[in-house]
Amino acid sequence: MKVQPQYSVMLFKAVSYVLKAEKILKKEGLPHKLIPVPKYISSDCGICLRFEPAMQNKIEASLLNKVEIEEIREMAD
Amino acid sequence: MSEIKIVNARGLACPQPVVLAKQAIESHEQVKVIVDNDTALENVKRLGTKLGCDVKVEKKKDGTYEINLTRMAGVAGAKEEFVPSCSATSAQSGPFVIVIAEDKMGRGNDELGYVLIRAFLHTVAGQAKKPDVMIFYNTGVKLTVQGSEVLEDLKQLENAGVQLLICGTCLNYFEIKDKLAAGTVSNMYDIVETMGSAGRLLVP
Repeated sequence: MKVQPQYSVMLFKAVSYVLKAEKILKKEGLPHKLIPVPKYISSDCGICLRFEPAMQNKIEASLLNKVEIEEIREMAD
Repeated sequence: MSEIKIVNARGLACPQPVVLAKQAIESHEQVKVIVDNDTALENVKRLGTKLGCDVKVEKKKDGTYEINLTRMAGVAGAKEEFVPSCSATSAQSGPFVIVIAEDKMGRGNDELGYVLIRAFLHTVAGQAKKPDVMIFYNTGVKLTVQGSEVLEDLKQLENAGVQLLICGTCLNYFEIKDKLAAGTVSNMYDIVETMGSAGRLLVP
């Protein structure tokens, strides 16, 4: 069986927060991907940022006091 | 051997052919259904399989199909209701094509549109039923070059057998031809032909 990379997702209160966070992460060169909020988390048409759990501390640190993070969840396969 | 019941379903609109075929096979051991289109062919074949019949199809020179349904002894027919599909599916009438005409989805706000197209492509890549072909033109080609944030999704699609046709004129116009990182450079002939032969064409 192929081992799938594990990811976490970062959820925000609004799309504008996601965009702001994305700009910061891009500038800092922290790998992430903008994806739709997984269906099992919410059926709203939302977007979130996906990242590797190893990056979580760095990402959180770079967003600290700049963008409010609503929640961080591990992604189910 | 009882006689073969012949159902001439040529010229009949869906779901008429499959309804007639069902009535016939319920009262006859063997039925020959003549249809003149792919949708009817697929529906009658599906009906036969579902009812536990032996299904044989013969394509005739005039473009019609003769479907021979033979009830097999000892096979119980399906209990649940058969639902004919009257909409053409890609397998029946041509490829499922998605056209990416821009590097954004929808009109009104470009920043939001760029968010949406990325979410769209990520979702398409995760679908069980993927398109057969995706065509990229105009600013849509910018999604297929080095540095694109959806490359991972496009490569996943390519690996799954989805053909990505990238407009060469467009790559040339934006001077990014040497940076192409997913798909194959294509031309208007292929694009027109693919769009024209599509069973389903989706433009987000």
